[in-house]
Amino acid sequence: MSTNTQAISVTELHKNFGNTAALAGLDLEVETGQVAGFLGPNGSGKSTTIRILLGLLRADSGTVKMLGGDPWDDAVALHRRIAYVPGEVALWPNLTGGQAIGILSALRGGVNSAKRDELLERFDLDPTKKARSYSKGNRQKVALVAALASDAELLLLDEPTSGLDPLMEQVFTSCIREVKEQGRSVLLSSHIFAEVEKLCDTVTIIREGVAVEAGRLDELRHLHRTTVSAVLDGDASALASVPGVSDLVFEGSKATFTVGSEDLAQVLRALAEYSPRSLVSAPPSLEDLFLRHYGGLPTESPMSKSGHHTHHIHPAGAR
Amino acid sequence: MSATTIQGHLLPMQRSSAGTLAGLGTAVRFIMHRNWLRLTIWAAVLAVMIPVVYDSQQQAFPTQAARDAYSQVANTPAVAAMTGLPYAAGSLGGILVIKIWMTLAVALGFASIFLVTRNGRADEEAGRTELLRSAALGRHAYSVANYLVAGTLSVVTGLLISLLCLSLALPTSGSWVMGASIAGIGIAFVGISAICNQLATTSRGANSLGVAIIALFYFLRAGADLQATSTTPSALSWYSPIGWAQNMRSFGENNWLPLLALLGLAVLGCMLALRLESRRDLGAGILAERKGPATSSRFISHPLGLVLRLQRSSLIGWLVGAVIAGLFFGGVAKAMTAVLDPSNPFAKSFVGSGHSMLDGVMGIFVLFNGLLAGAFAIQCLAAARSEEESGRLETQLAGSLSRFNWLGAHVLVAALGSVVMLLLGGYLTGVSSQGAATGGSMMAASFAYWPAVLLVLGVLLFLQGFAPRLSTGLTWIIYGLSLMAAMFGGLFSLSDDVIKLTPFGAVPRLPAEDFVLLPIIVLSIIAVLLAISGFWRFRARDLMPE
Repeated sequence: MSTNTQAISVTELHKNFGNTAALAGLDLEVETGQVAGFLGPNGSGKSTTIRILLGLLRADSGTVKMLGGDPWDDAVALHRRIAYVPGEVALWPNLTGGQAIGILSALRGGVNSAKRDELLERFDLDPTKKARSYSKGNRQKVALVAALASDAELLLLDEPTSGLDPLMEQVFTSCIREVKEQGRSVLLSSHIFAEVEKLCDTVTIIREGVAVEAGRLDELRHLHRTTVSAVLDGDASALASVPGVSDLVFEGSKATFTVGSEDLAQVLRALAEYSPRSLVSAPPSLEDLFLRHYGGLPTESPMSKSGHHTHHIHPAGAR
Repeated sequence: MSATTIQGHLLPMQRSSAGTLAGLGTAVRFIMHRNWLRLTIWAAVLAVMIPVVYDSQQQAFPTQAARDAYSQVANTPAVAAMTGLPYAAGSLGGILVIKIWMTLAVALGFASIFLVTRNGRADEEAGRTELLRSAALGRHAYSVANYLVAGTLSVVTGLLISLLCLSLALPTSGSWVMGASIAGIGIAFVGISAICNQLATTSRGANSLGVAIIALFYFLRAGADLQATSTTPSALSWYSPIGWAQNMRSFGENNWLPLLALLGLAVLGCMLALRLESRRDLGAGILAERKGPATSSRFISHPLGLVLRLQRSSLIGWLVGAVIAGLFFGGVAKAMTAVLDPSNPFAKSFVGSGHSMLDGVMGIFVLFNGLLAGAFAIQCLAAARSEEESGRLETQLAGSLSRFNWLGAHVLVAALGSVVMLLLGGYLTGVSSQGAATGGSMMAASFAYWPAVLLVLGVLLFLQGFAPRLSTGLTWIIYGLSLMAAMFGGLFSLSDDVIKLTPFGAVPRLPAEDFVLLPIIVLSIIAVLLAISGFWRFRARDLMPE
């Protein structure tokens, strides 16, 4: 792929802090015009990656390209074309929120006052208050308004909604959709699965400084197992013998199991013989994808709560 | 201090009794745990001055005849104004008081102010007090623990001073009054700082208020000591707690009564502070927060404008300080001319082998100007490191601001601000001493200290590049040592050659000494080299927030 369709292109990125490896060969791609989700638990290297993209930290090795430039050498030129929202927003306690927005916008090359005022309205933020008196959520809004009021080609957002209430999160979601409609790119690091599922075209899951999962969200889902819940006419234990069915949990006529996408057709045909009265099939949620890499699958299902009648069958090699 | 440690320390609190002082013991232990090193250093450094200064004075005035001769000339307006009215200059104890009492007393006052703020308003501002108070800690327990620990520093320092005096075979009652009068100032300023901590919303505000009050009391007593009749200061002395402690007159009349007034002031101050604390919300001050502009002006949107805006109150404060100091120094020097007898050998020893007595004194005052400008420059540039530490630098650099321009703006404000202070302070010292004619030459004499100020700035820049986390503390230590060498080097029997190797000692002390270009050039070159390497490293290193 040529660089001009890539907003961000990171390969084999390494960064050590003393003896600790924060990034150990990370790969990350964000295509122009796309919203890319960046997931990983605390300390997995998300913020380190973003700081390297901002030229605040220096990569130890690997290649990093942002908007076709080098984040360290071309920092100032690149920063005119990007906007950044940190997860923990630090402001000058004795300046007002409005002044802080002005300063941050001026550093990107100017203020679009109409847009800023509109965003202040939408985020319900009083710009005349001193930053000292703002809550975490309000400080976050200051950084969001400053970033969204810009015409940046690329937005780097590091857990931007971590202090926002659900209403403000909705405002944020619609703002990012508008950004996307304008053909701009976004790298969104987040812990909120629903937000990422709503907004992101692609997802990169990072663990201990390496990407363990990356691609379009729908493709990733396809790669993983679908969860099927069914109520059968007879005893559900018979499903254990159907090839392709795994993680089976049953109680009387109710059953829940997972099935790989390649076996789905075959399993559904087999299932028809047991004349199911209800059938729900759900693709793996982002949470499932994420947790798969961190402490395994969620084993809790509605039926497993009902006690001693429950049986778990884990055929070998089900994963 | 990590959250786990705090919780670990505070767990026993859950069991202690209810009331506004619940958990006091735990809070005291916690504050001691956080500050023991700081407390030890303050006490040790202040107390050790006693034997060091005593030793050098014993060498300077080895016989009673020498001391008697000194007592005839000790009472100059400069000494009275700067270090207090001499009253027992014919004894080694009395000489010790003249040389070091005021320095120790004021330093302990500063220690009290900084300590109370550190564990008071600074913790509250950072949200740590909220965490502590959310445990079963009484409303006043943390504050009272803070006052107790800060007070203990004064008591221990005073005790050490008394014991060291006794060990030097100085008179017993005088030794005890010496320690008690210095401790009394420290304790009184615990009470004063306690109130400042309730009034201001920020630790910076609380410290500035405390320092302003100590300066006010210092100048009040200076006025009183200048208006003295013989060895009795004017009644103005009783308007300043520092004056109260001076009136205890260790190694003179040994008067214990003023100590009660100092302790009373401390108790009143702490009680008033606790009253204020129960009336206000956690995190709020008494001085209310105003609303500000909704948008940023063009001025503060520029990196240089932003630095000027953020440093606004501190800049104004330092400039006012330079003006007051200049007027004060000049006034004192003028008062001296009438009294001094240039033929007296001991008068000469005070000001060095200069051209004239007056020039010698002016040389010291110009050095003060230089030191003041140096302190300003460090504080100003240290703000750059706080921007990095707090994470605010990240958002700025994420905009199209280069590291060079950002750091350059801070350096520019520090360097140019110090020039203004030097010129203004020097000019006013000259004008207020001998009229407009001397203004220009004193201004030039003061300006000669700019390379020394730049050198200190260079050290800080270098450290901000190579050891950012230690930079501010280390620079203050280096500054403190050069200050000691330049001001008290002779007192500590340092040789002239050594003093000339320190930044502020190297500068020719105009008008007492002749102008020499070489040290100015050397200082400038070192300053520039340090600054360049600091800049170079800063542009190449990772950002290091806390």
